[in-house]
Amino acid sequence: MIRRRNVFALALVIALGVLPLVAQQQQEDRVKAIGGKFLCMCGCGQVLTQCNHVGCTMSAAMLKELGQRVNRGESEAVITQAFVQEFGTTVYAEPPKSGFSLIAWAMPVVYFVVGAGLVLLVISRWRKRPQAAGVDAAAPVTASGVKISQEAMERGRAQAARETED
Amino acid sequence: MVSHSNRDLSTFYKFAALWSGQEGSLLFWSFLLAVYVISVLIAYRHKNGELMPYVGVILAGVQIFFLTLNNFVESPFKILAAANANGVLEPFVRQDGNGLTGLLQYPEMVIHPPNLYAGYTGFTIPFAFALAALLARYPGEKWIHLTRKWTMIAWCFQSIGILLGAHWAYAVLGWGGYWGWDPVENASLLPWLTGTAFLHSVMMQEKRGMMKVWNVWLVFSTFLMCILGTFLTRSGVVSSVHAFANSQIGPWFVSFMALTLVVCFAAYVKNHDYLKSENQLDSMISRESSFLFNNLLFLVACIAVLSGTLFPVFTEWFTPSRISVGAPFFNKIMIPIGLAILFLTGVGPLLAWRKTSTDSLKRNFTWPLVAGALSAVLAYILEYRNAISLVCLFLCGFVFWTIVMEFYRGARVIAARSGMSMMMAAHELAMRNTRRYGGYVIHFGMVLIFIGLAGAAFNTDVQKTMNLGDTMKLGPYTLILQSADTKPEKNYTAERMIVEVMKGNRQLMMLYPEKRQFGGRDQQSGTMVAIYSTLREDVYVVFAGTDPDTNLPVIHAFLNPLVKWIWLGGVWVVMGTLLALMPNRRAALVIAGATLPATSGVAPALNPSVTLKEGHD
Repeated sequence: MIRRRNVFALALVIALGVLPLVAQQQQEDRVKAIGGKFLCMCGCGQVLTQCNHVGCTMSAAMLKELGQRVNRGESEAVITQAFVQEFGTTVYAEPPKSGFSLIAWAMPVVYFVVGAGLVLLVISRWRKRPQAAGVDAAAPVTASGVKISQEAMERGRAQAARETED
Repeated sequence: MVSHSNRDLSTFYKFAALWSGQEGSLLFWSFLLAVYVISVLIAYRHKNGELMPYVGVILAGVQIFFLTLNNFVESPFKILAAANANGVLEPFVRQDGNGLTGLLQYPEMVIHPPNLYAGYTGFTIPFAFALAALLARYPGEKWIHLTRKWTMIAWCFQSIGILLGAHWAYAVLGWGGYWGWDPVENASLLPWLTGTAFLHSVMMQEKRGMMKVWNVWLVFSTFLMCILGTFLTRSGVVSSVHAFANSQIGPWFVSFMALTLVVCFAAYVKNHDYLKSENQLDSMISRESSFLFNNLLFLVACIAVLSGTLFPVFTEWFTPSRISVGAPFFNKIMIPIGLAILFLTGVGPLLAWRKTSTDSLKRNFTWPLVAGALSAVLAYILEYRNAISLVCLFLCGFVFWTIVMEFYRGARVIAARSGMSMMMAAHELAMRNTRRYGGYVIHFGMVLIFIGLAGAAFNTDVQKTMNLGDTMKLGPYTLILQSADTKPEKNYTAERMIVEVMKGNRQLMMLYPEKRQFGGRDQQSGTMVAIYSTLREDVYVVFAGTDPDTNLPVIHAFLNPLVKWIWLGGVWVVMGTLLALMPNRRAALVIAGATLPATSGVAPALNPSVTLKEGHD
């Protein structure tokens, strides 16, 4: 009975010691995660959690405010709203995925889709093009009986030379 | 002089102060362009008679534009004067200048901007050749060889400039990274991307007579991207830490870009029939298709970076507020594109021109795929467990093995014929086709760079206020703040932390992160990062200032895996480019002291005493 009580007491002591550390770590991780979505407002253009240049007048204060809000248990949406109210929309490290800013996210996808479509179209058109090769009566005949013009032979030779060089 | 240097500045930096401001850097730009122009005019003084008059006029046009800026818009030779009581300007003498910005007082300041500018200005030469060939309807394909060579030279300088800039950012700014997607960084990347696309698609024109229109417009675009990048950097259109001060230079650049575009378009409309291509493809699975997709990805990357950089400006035009576009956006967009390009880097050499059979696909892809899978497994065992990094490392293994196979196949043939060792045969192979194997060396360099980039997912950092003797745990390392001192230098005073790096009980080295207080009018301060770098990881230590409550030093330490691979990769990229620029060595027959070219295939039939000797074309 005494032994079980001792084990329980030990577990309680460990839990009391470890839990605050775990909670603190979780809060630090949250500060890093949310702070990674804001820019430092000193004009350096760096992400808030990465701005540490000497003489920065903003990052320490912004991180402090962020830490306080995270400690108070505010949600990410509330914190974001507060930062946007305080610093304007330039505080976003990346454009929000809504409204006009959605264009920024859509543009690269559109470029790729349109570009890939064009490439496929070009390839299919080029594949349909016949090879320009006139055939005359005295043309050499291949083993399979196909006649090839002298001009085509010369062009073929030159092409083979080019393509096997590299 | 007055604005960007002072007497205490070392000679090294006094020299570099020329390109630290708007006026001086534009003068330097003109100087580099003049060096290129003179080199071209001397090199081709007896060659390409029909083409060179056009080339000369185009180069002169570009040079005149920059000289106009130097003389009438941003002159570096203004007289130092102030208005007297009567409103008349009176020259005066200042005892000393303002000094150079602290962040610029780093050795790479002397080499990074010249390389980057040599890249930007260098792209003028291929532009001049391409436009001249179109205007002159220059017969044959020689102009494309000239264009390719000069593009490669400019591309090499641009690559060196970009990498040195990344290294500078890493070693000086103290945020633990090397690429922040700053508008000025992006501006340097734009012509590099289109230039890289051209260096690939030009092979289609040389080998198959295809994509002539596309190639000409890629060269035009590369030059226009250089001008656009310069405009973005210098006009104040986009905000950046290292953009030059806002000035009235913007409209000049816009006008020049518009004029260039009009000239290019007019030349194209007038002579587009000259660019008639023999566009014909046999199969979707061919080297040609891989080049088309390669170009698509480079172009998408270029336009995505450009539109992301300009998006804040667009938002100001169309909405009441400005939206920032920072590094997280570019990382999300560019990582998939970068991985797709890396994939094609491996696929391209495995595909044959015209058509690749299924058997050939199986034969060529099996071992590279196995190598890729082994790389990913090894990375997983070494605890690089992040999905994107694992894909990247898989592709790195895949591409690496394709390069090894290309060298092995060629070297095996030479070794069998000549009796050389495989290493000598590989060297001989590379020297016989410098362009092709130089390209593979560049690809190898890119693989190393991608390995370095894959490490970024595992960066960790710790920031701690430390008293003397305090320790900090950073991954497997322990950092001990041993002492601190102050080191007065001529131009600044350094506050230095002395940090011992331990791994287990083993002392590795002492690091000296500094905070520098510069003199001069602005009294700026800056950091000097201390780095312990190995192939596995960098221990990156920054003295981040003092805690306002305790007045104790704050140490910010980063553990950045695989960063060194990026710089090593850069060295390989440069070596590969230099190799690709060398002339091909040709095998030659030596018969009784006389040298004959070994092109007729007579060697096997000759007396065994006949030997092969190298000659250069």
